[in-house]
Amino acid sequence: MLDFIKKNQTALMILVLILSLTAGTVLNHKIRHLRESEAFYRWILAAAVNERLFQDDDDQSEDALLFERCTALAENYAPFDNSPREAGLSLLGSIAQNYEDDKRIWSFAESSLAKEERIAFLTLAKGQKLQFATDIEYAEAQAGGVNVFNLFFGFRKVAANLVWLEVDRYWHQGNVYRMQTLMRTCVALDPQFIEAYLVGAWHLSYNATAQLPDTPWPQREWNARHEQCLGEKERFYYHGIDFLREGIRRNPRNYKLYFDLGFGIYKQKLEDYPNAVKYLAEAIRLPHDRWVPRQLFICQELNGQYGDALEGWKDYVDRYPGSMTAVEVAPRFIMRNEGLLFETEARLLLKNAKSTANPGEAEQMRSQAAALWEKARDTWNALDDPYGEGRKLMMDALELREEGRYLEAIATLDKARWDTGALFTEFSALIMEIKQEAAIPLSVSEKKALLRESEVGLCSGMPEEERQRRMKSAETIESSFH
Amino acid sequence: MNYLSSAFGGPWCVAVYTYREGIRRKLLIGFLILSLLVIFGSSFITSFVDPTAETDIDLKLIKDICVTAIAIFGALITVYISASVIPAEVETKVIYTVLSKPVSRVQYLLGKFLGIQLIIIVNLLLMGGLFFMALYIRQGIMPTLLLWSIFLTYFEFLIISAFTFAVSCAATSPLVPTLQGLFIYITANLTEYLKDVEHRAGQTGQFLDEAIGKIATALYSILPNLQNFSIKMQIVNGQPNDPPTDVMIPWLVLYSLVYAVAGFACAYLVFRRKEV
Amino acid sequence: MTTVIRTTALNKIYEGSLRSQDVHALKDLNLEIREGEIFGYLGPNGSGKTTTIKMLLGLLFPTSGKIEILGSEAIESAKIKRNIGYLPEGAYYPDFLRGEEILSYYGRLYGLRGAELNKRVDETLELVGMQHARKRFLRGYSKGMRQRIGLAQALISDPKILILDEPTTGLDPIARKDIRDLLVELRKRGITLLISSHELLEVELISDRVAILFEGVMQTLGTMDELLTQRELSMTVEHMTDEIAASLEEKGIVVEDRTGIRALLRLPQKLSTYDAIELCQARKLNLLSISPRRETLEELFVRIVGSASESREVAQ
Repeated sequence: MLDFIKKNQTALMILVLILSLTAGTVLNHKIRHLRESEAFYRWILAAAVNERLFQDDDDQSEDALLFERCTALAENYAPFDNSPREAGLSLLGSIAQNYEDDKRIWSFAESSLAKEERIAFLTLAKGQKLQFATDIEYAEAQAGGVNVFNLFFGFRKVAANLVWLEVDRYWHQGNVYRMQTLMRTCVALDPQFIEAYLVGAWHLSYNATAQLPDTPWPQREWNARHEQCLGEKERFYYHGIDFLREGIRRNPRNYKLYFDLGFGIYKQKLEDYPNAVKYLAEAIRLPHDRWVPRQLFICQELNGQYGDALEGWKDYVDRYPGSMTAVEVAPRFIMRNEGLLFETEARLLLKNAKSTANPGEAEQMRSQAAALWEKARDTWNALDDPYGEGRKLMMDALELREEGRYLEAIATLDKARWDTGALFTEFSALIMEIKQEAAIPLSVSEKKALLRESEVGLCSGMPEEERQRRMKSAETIESSFH
Repeated sequence: MNYLSSAFGGPWCVAVYTYREGIRRKLLIGFLILSLLVIFGSSFITSFVDPTAETDIDLKLIKDICVTAIAIFGALITVYISASVIPAEVETKVIYTVLSKPVSRVQYLLGKFLGIQLIIIVNLLLMGGLFFMALYIRQGIMPTLLLWSIFLTYFEFLIISAFTFAVSCAATSPLVPTLQGLFIYITANLTEYLKDVEHRAGQTGQFLDEAIGKIATALYSILPNLQNFSIKMQIVNGQPNDPPTDVMIPWLVLYSLVYAVAGFACAYLVFRRKEV
Repeated sequence: MTTVIRTTALNKIYEGSLRSQDVHALKDLNLEIREGEIFGYLGPNGSGKTTTIKMLLGLLFPTSGKIEILGSEAIESAKIKRNIGYLPEGAYYPDFLRGEEILSYYGRLYGLRGAELNKRVDETLELVGMQHARKRFLRGYSKGMRQRIGLAQALISDPKILILDEPTTGLDPIARKDIRDLLVELRKRGITLLISSHELLEVELISDRVAILFEGVMQTLGTMDELLTQRELSMTVEHMTDEIAASLEEKGIVVEDRTGIRALLRLPQKLSTYDAIELCQARKLNLLSISPRRETLEELFVRIVGSASESREVAQ
C-alpha cells in the first residue's frame, strides 16, 4: 500500500487535483444555488411585505407580477399545505407575515419547485427591472458591466459608511436636498444599513422641517401617489415615509423601521393614527424592545381602539411584571381605557335608545347606559389625575347637553379643554358639535377647522374630479352653519 | 501510530519552524501593526458622526471598517507569506539542508503549507481579538457573530493561500509570486464577471465568440469564487432577515477545503521535479 | 573496501531558455567513493562540483546516468538520506534560534525524538566544540561558529556519509585548521567524507583521494601518491652569471628567482643529486642548499586545468 503510494505519487496527486477540482465545481454549483436562493428569498420577503403593507390593488410592476406567479406556485408547495391564510393576503404573504416562518420561506425559495420562478427572478434582476432586487449584491454582480460598486469587492459596506459621513456633513451644512440623494446612494451601497434609514428619515421628517413654515393651502401641491395636498413640510414627511418604506422592503424583519414609521412620522408628525397603529402593530410582531408596545397602545387609544389598547396593556403587565412601565404606567392606562370603554358604550346605548321604536327596550337601554355612565365616573374618580378630571367635566357637560343646557355645557367643556391639554382637540370638536346641535353660530376659526378636517382643502395640480368632490363637500358643510 | 508519527512528524517540525521564522518577517509585522492601528483607530472615526443622533451608527461604522481592514490586511499578509516562504528558503539555501534530510518533498511542502496556515491564523486571531475587544468595550455584549465572520475570512484566505503557494513553488524570488498572489486574489473576486463574458459572447453568434463563451462558462464553473465569502461582511451586522447562515457556512468551509487541496496538489506537481 | 557512492555515466544538462543555450554541466561522470575515505572533489568555480553533490542529494535530477548510494539507487528514500549529512555552501541559519534549537530542529527532521535527540545534540555539540555557545542565539555567532553549527546539523544523525560543499570558504586560518582537524577526527570515526573545494591546500592536507573536475568533465582521479608522481630537485646556488645560466638551461635545468648572484635551480627528474653537485662544481657555483621537491596539488591542478582549456581552444 505504502509502496504503491510512493511509486505513483505523481499520478495520485494528479488524481487528487482532478477530484478536488471536480468537487470544487460541484460545490461552486451548490453555493451558487444557495446564493441565488438567498437573493430570491430576500426578494420574496420584500415583495410579501410590499403586498401586505404598501401595495395598490392594480399594481402592474414587474415585482407584483412575479410575486403573483410565486404566490400561485406556493399554493402547490406541499409543506405550505394547511397553513392559515390571512384575509386579503396570498398564502405566501400570510406565511411571510410571521418571522418565525422565515425558514419555511427559505425552503420554498430554495426548492426545485420554484426553479423557474427563481430563474425568472434572476433574469429580471439582471435586467434591473425589479425594484426590490436592486440591492441584492448577487443580482448586481450578475448585472455585469463595469459597475463602480463591484470594484469594491466585498467592501461596499465601508463605502456606504464613508458616504454616510458625507451625508452627515451635508446635514451640518444644512444642505438637505443634496443630503437626500446621497442617502439613497448610501443605502444602495448597503441596503442593510438600518441606521441610515432611521437617522435619514428622522433628519427628513423632524430636523429638515423644523425651520419650515406651514405652507398655505392654495400653495400646496397635489401628490398623486399619496392623494394628498402636500406643502413643503409634508413633502419632507413623505420623503421620510418613502425612505423608511424602502428600508422596510429591504429589511422586513427589523422592528425599528416599523416603529419609526408608525410612531416617529405617522403619530408624531402626521397624527395619522390608523397608519400609526398599522405599523406599530407590525413592529411588535417582530422581536422588539420593551418600550415599543407602549406606543402602540397609546396610538390604539388615540385611534379609538380602546378595547385593543386595554387588552394590550393587560397583556404587557402579564408579560413584564415588575417592570417600571408595568408598575407605574400601565395601571393608569388600563383604567383610562376601561373608563373610555364604559363611556363609549354608554353613549352608544343612549344613541340606540333614541332610535329604537320599542319604548320598553329603550328604557332598558337607558338604564344600562346609566349604570355604565356611573361606572365610567367611578373610574375617573379612581384615576384621580388631570385626565380623569377632564373626563369627568366632559361627562358633566354631556349631561347638561341632555338637559338642553347647551351654554353651560359649552362653558364646562371650554374650561376642561384648557385644563387638560391632552383632550383639547376632542373637546373642541365636541363644543362645535353642541353648537351645531343648539344652532349657536360657530366662530370663524371653528368654521375653518371644520372645513379643513372634512378634507376640503384645494391645491394646485389636483385632478378635476377631486376638486369638484371637495368643493361639493365644502358646500354641504357650509350650508349646515347657522 | 509509528507510521503516522514518522509521516507527519517531519511536516509538523517544518510547520513549526516555518511559523517561528515567518512570524518574524518585518513586512508581515508592518501589515499587522497597520491593521491593528486601523482597527484601533476605527473607534475614533466615529467622532465624525453627529453625536446628537443617538444611534448605533458608530457601532456599525466600527464593525464595517474593522471587517474590511481584516479582509484587506489579512489578504496582504496571506499573499505575502504564502508567496515568500518557499522562495525565501531557496534564497537562503536552508532548503538544501532540509531536503537533504529524510524529508520527502511532499512532506516538506505539507509542513511549509501548515506553517503558513499557522501564521495566517495567528494574525487573524490577533486582529480579530482586538476587534472583539473594541466591540466588547463599546457594546458590552459578546459579539459572537464577529467570530463567525473571522472564521469565514480564514477559509477565504485558505483558498488564496493555497494557490499563491502553488505559484510560489515555481518561483525563485518572493516578489513575483507576491504579485501573482495579489492577482489571484483580485481575479478570484471577479470570477462573477465570467458569467458576463459568457452572456456577451453569446450575442454575436460567431464561432470564435461562442468558443470564448464556452471557455468562460467552463472557467466560471471550475474556478473558485471568493465573492461567495462576501457574507462575512453581512453576518457581522447580523440582521434578523438574513437567510439562515448555518446553511451557508458548512458549505463554504467544505468549498474552501476542497480548493485548498486542489491548490496543494498544484503546488506538489510544480515542486515535485523542481531543481533547487 | 566497499564503495558507498557510485555514479555511472552521469550527465546533467541545464536546459536554456529561449535565448540562451543549453549548458552541459556534467559529462559522463564516473565516480566511486569508498568507505572511510576523505574524497577531495576539486575543480574551479562552475566546473560542476555542486551540481554533482546536489544530484547525489536528490536536489537536482540527472539528465542521464545512474547514482548509487550505499548500494541503492533509491537515493531519495528516507533510508538512504538518513545516512547522509550535508553542509551546503554558504547556507543561512536563522538568527532567532539558539545553537541547540537549530540542532534539535534538524534532528527532528531525521526522526529523532526525546532523550535520544538530546543525547545526539549534546554529542554533536561536543564534537564540533560548540558546547559553550549552545544557549546563544545564532545572531551572536562568528562565521567560524556558524560553520561549525552547519557541520553539527550535518552530523546530527550520526551519518555514514558526510558531504561538504566548500566547508572552509571564507574562514580565517585558525578556523580552517580547526575544521580540518575536525574532519580528520571524523574520518577516524569511520565516516566517509566528500569534500568539494577549490581551496587546494586544505584538501591536499587531508584527502585520501582526489578527483579534478573541469567544465563538467573529470580530468583525473586517484590517490595523492598516484597523482603527484613528479619529483624534482631544487638547489640554491651563488655566483650565477648569465653565461652559466644559459649553459644550464641547455641541460634542461630551469633557473628561477635570480636575485643578483643568487638563483634557484630546478633540476629535471633524470638528474640525480650527485649529478647536481657535479654540475655545481664544474661551474664554480657555491651550493647553498639542495632539496627534493614533490609537485603540489596546486601545480597539478593548474597543469591539468591549463591543458584541458588549451585542448578545448584547439578543438574550437
